[in-house]
Amino acid sequence: MNAAALNLLWQATQETLLMVGSATVLAVLGGLPIGILLAITAPEGILENSWLNRLLGAVVNLGRSIPFIILMVAIIPFTRKVVGTSIGTTAAIVPLTVAAIPFFARLVEGALREVDPGVIEAAQSMGTTPLQIIYKVLLPEALPGLVLAVTVTAVNLVGYSAMAGAIGGGGLGDLAIRYGYQRFRGDVMVQTIAVLVLLVQGMQMVGDKIAQRLFQRS
Amino acid sequence: MIQLKNVSKTFPGKNEVHALTGINLTIPAGQIYGIIGQSGAGKSTLLRCINMLERPDAGEVWVAGTPITSLGPRELRAARRQMGMVFQQFNLLNSRTVFGNIAFPLELNGMPKKDIRKRVEELAELVGLSDKLEAFPRQLSGGQKQRVGIARALATQPAVLLCDEPTSALDPETTAAVLRLLQTINERLGLTIVLVTHEMAVIQEICHSVAVLEEGRLQEAGPVTEVFTRPQSQATQRLLQGFLAARFSLPQRQPDGTFLRLTFLQERANQPLISRMIRQHEVEVNILFGRIDQMQGSPFGMLLVELRGSPEQTAAALRFLQENEVEVEVLHQ
Repeated sequence: MNAAALNLLWQATQETLLMVGSATVLAVLGGLPIGILLAITAPEGILENSWLNRLLGAVVNLGRSIPFIILMVAIIPFTRKVVGTSIGTTAAIVPLTVAAIPFFARLVEGALREVDPGVIEAAQSMGTTPLQIIYKVLLPEALPGLVLAVTVTAVNLVGYSAMAGAIGGGGLGDLAIRYGYQRFRGDVMVQTIAVLVLLVQGMQMVGDKIAQRLFQRS
Repeated sequence: MIQLKNVSKTFPGKNEVHALTGINLTIPAGQIYGIIGQSGAGKSTLLRCINMLERPDAGEVWVAGTPITSLGPRELRAARRQMGMVFQQFNLLNSRTVFGNIAFPLELNGMPKKDIRKRVEELAELVGLSDKLEAFPRQLSGGQKQRVGIARALATQPAVLLCDEPTSALDPETTAAVLRLLQTINERLGLTIVLVTHEMAVIQEICHSVAVLEEGRLQEAGPVTEVFTRPQSQATQRLLQGFLAARFSLPQRQPDGTFLRLTFLQERANQPLISRMIRQHEVEVNILFGRIDQMQGSPFGMLLVELRGSPEQTAAALRFLQENEVEVEVLHQ
C-alpha cells in the first residue's frame, strides 16, 4: 500500500468517525427524551397517556420508514438551515442524526420497558414523583440495555454513513464506491471493507464489555 | 390505625373481576394483622388499596386519621412515606448495592449524606446484614434480599408496614427467620404490620388478628385464637382443614366408630375433659393423634379421637364436649 492510498484511507476513516461519533452523541441527546416519553406514556407506564403515546409513536415510525438515502436528500433545506451548507461531512451529520434519533428512541423505549414493574411499584410505594422514578429507577436500572442501544445505533450509523458520499460527506463507504468500484481498485475496496469490519467489531466489543460490566456489577 | 370503609374494586376487561366487594375492616395500631385467602381472593388488592397502589372504585381508606382515598398526588406521596411496603419478589433495585437500596427512601426524603450512612448502618444491623452493605442484590440469597426489603421499608420510620406475601418466595427455614424478624420489629418499634399470606402457618406463627377473604368478600375477622378455634365461615374452615391436615395427619384406615377432631383452647387445654367424658358417658375413646401448640402465647390443643359406644352414648358424649366449650368437628361417622 503506497502513501497516497494510506492517506486516503486514513482521511476517510476520520470522516466516518466524525460523522458516526457526532451523530451518535446527537442521537442520544435527542432520542433519549423521546424514548423515555414513549416508555412512560405506554399502557401501564407511569404516566400512561395513549393519545401522546400514539402521536409520538407515529412520528417515530414515520422517521424510521423513510429510506436513509431518500431522507438525506429530502431534508436538504433543513440541513442547509442548520449547518449553512448541504454538502460535506458536517452536512451529512444532520440527516444521520435525524435518522438515528427515532431508531435510538425505540431502543430506549424497549430498554426502559424491560425494567421490572415491581421495582417501579416499590419506588411508588415510597412516594416517588414520576421524575424521580425516571432518573432514580428507570435510567439506572436500564443502564446496561441503554449502553447496548447506543452501540447498536452507532453500528447502524456506520452503515448509513456509507451513503453520505451522495452529498459529498466522504467517509469509508464513499471511498469504497469511488475508488474501489468506479475506478476498479479492488485493493482499496478490500482495505476499506477491512477497516469498516474492524471499526464495527471494535465498537460492538467495547459496548458489550461496558454493558456486561454494568450488568455484573448489578 | 387503618380503616377500610365499604371498599370495592373491580378490574374491568373481557372477564371483569370483582376483586373486592364492600370490605369493612379496622386494623388496630401496634398489631400484626394477617389477611388470608386463597390466590385470587383479593387479599393483595386489599393491601394495595391501603397505599393506593390500587385505587378503590368505591369506599374510603383511612390511615392514622388521614383519608388516603381523597388525597391529591402530592399529599398521597407524603402519606406513602409514612408506610413501608415489603414485596413477595423483594423488588430491589438491581443497580444499587444493599446500602444504596436501603438509602433509597432516605435520599427521596432529602436526608443529608452523613445521616443516611448512620441510619442505613442501624437498619442493616437490625436486619442482620451489616456485612453485606456493599453487595449487589444479585449476590444475595432470597432471605437476604427480603431482609434488605424490610430494612428499606423501615428506613423512613413508617408507622405502618405493608407486607405482600413476604415469605412466599422463601424456603421454610428462611421463612421462619423472616417472620421472627417481623415479630421483633413489631415488638421493638411498635409498628403496625399488615401481612398478606395464603399460608395459615404464617398467620398462626406471628399474627394477632386475621381477616379471611374469599372471592373479594370479607368472610370473617378477629383475633387469631378465635378464628382458628371457632371458625364461623366455610372459607375459614376450608383454609383450616388444609392447614390442620398437614400438621395433624389423619390415619389412613377406615374408623370403626365416630371420628372426631377436638380443639381445646387456653384453660380447657389443661383440664382432664376426656377422662371425665369416658367416666360419665361410658364411651370408649381411642386417641389417634394429639398435639399442643402455642398460639399467641396461649396453649392450643388438638386431639383426633375415635369414639365407640351406642348412638345414645356417643350423642351424650358429644353434648358433654360442647358444653365444656371444646370445639368438636365430626370427621366421620
